[in-house]
Amino acid sequence: VNSKRKTQIPGILLIFALAFLSIEGRTQQDTSGNASDFTSVEYYPAPDQAQMKFKLSGSEAAPLPGGLLVIKQFKLELFSTNGEMQAIVRAPECTYDAVHGQANSAGQLYLQNGDGNIHLQGTGFLWRQADSFLTISNNVKTVIENNTVMREADHGGQKAP
Amino acid sequence: MKRYFITILLLMAAPWLRAQTNPTPAGPALITSRTGDFDMNTRTATYLGDVHVVDPEMKLRCEWLSATLPTSGGHIDHIVCETNVVIDYSDEKSQTNHITSDRAVYDYNVQGVVTNETITFTGSPRIENAQAIITGEPIIWHRDSGKFEVTNEKMIFKQGIGGLATQTNTPAKPE
Repeated sequence: VNSKRKTQIPGILLIFALAFLSIEGRTQQDTSGNASDFTSVEYYPAPDQAQMKFKLSGSEAAPLPGGLLVIKQFKLELFSTNGEMQAIVRAPECTYDAVHGQANSAGQLYLQNGDGNIHLQGTGFLWRQADSFLTISNNVKTVIENNTVMREADHGGQKAP
Repeated sequence: MKRYFITILLLMAAPWLRAQTNPTPAGPALITSRTGDFDMNTRTATYLGDVHVVDPEMKLRCEWLSATLPTSGGHIDHIVCETNVVIDYSDEKSQTNHITSDRAVYDYNVQGVVTNETITFTGSPRIENAQAIITGEPIIWHRDSGKFEVTNEKMIFKQGIGGLATQTNTPAKPE
């Protein structure tokens, strides 16, 4: 199905190809998809080259000048080197700069960590994939479920003398 | 530097110092701030500007908070709070306690079967409740035992004999 779509919109594919070709030397990249089904994957460097570092996807991607893409229903999945899910970042919409490996938006962002115990949201963000760094600009709110940080019970050990 | 340790005896004399955390049921903690930086490589979350932490057992506010997030299922083991740190909590007697400092560092670690959980206050730390005010530096709150360890402690009783405020220094103890 994908290959069929690719032949239908060569212009979009060309943009994707050029954009990711520019950072091919730095990271191992693989891009597939089209205007209605966008996915970009990056893998860890050796020796973990078989492990996915992140998967960036969206329901829709529209090109802008300068190699930018407007991605609808933005979703970023982050993985550790053992394949464990670290976090999922979602945003209704964002602008993705494939050349510089950055995503940003003035809108809402939602983040959930791997085990679902930490939920985070805010307004306006910048994601830098080169150093896996997320900045939330406004109204940051984090909920830690099953919180044990401010609690002395249930640590499973004896109390210190 | 001489260090003073608030002993059990002193704790008995000043029950408000026990500051034992209440065994409240598990509940979520909420952190809010103006902005935030999240380093996914080091799993470090940094909250900046008007930071508020609301927990079932305490409320904290400061201007800058950095926490090292655990791997899945783990325990947060290091939190640093800086600038105008304020903690309000209720002890086992439901008495409100108010702690202020410039900096507070939370550390959690397990050595063998022993859990160590502390909050170290520096930068003019001060503990206050209805009965007294304690200053000293640093002040270490042993969360596991509920005890406070105060260096260069100075205590002011608000309700002294005859209603007069009384200031005392606890006896010095060698290191």
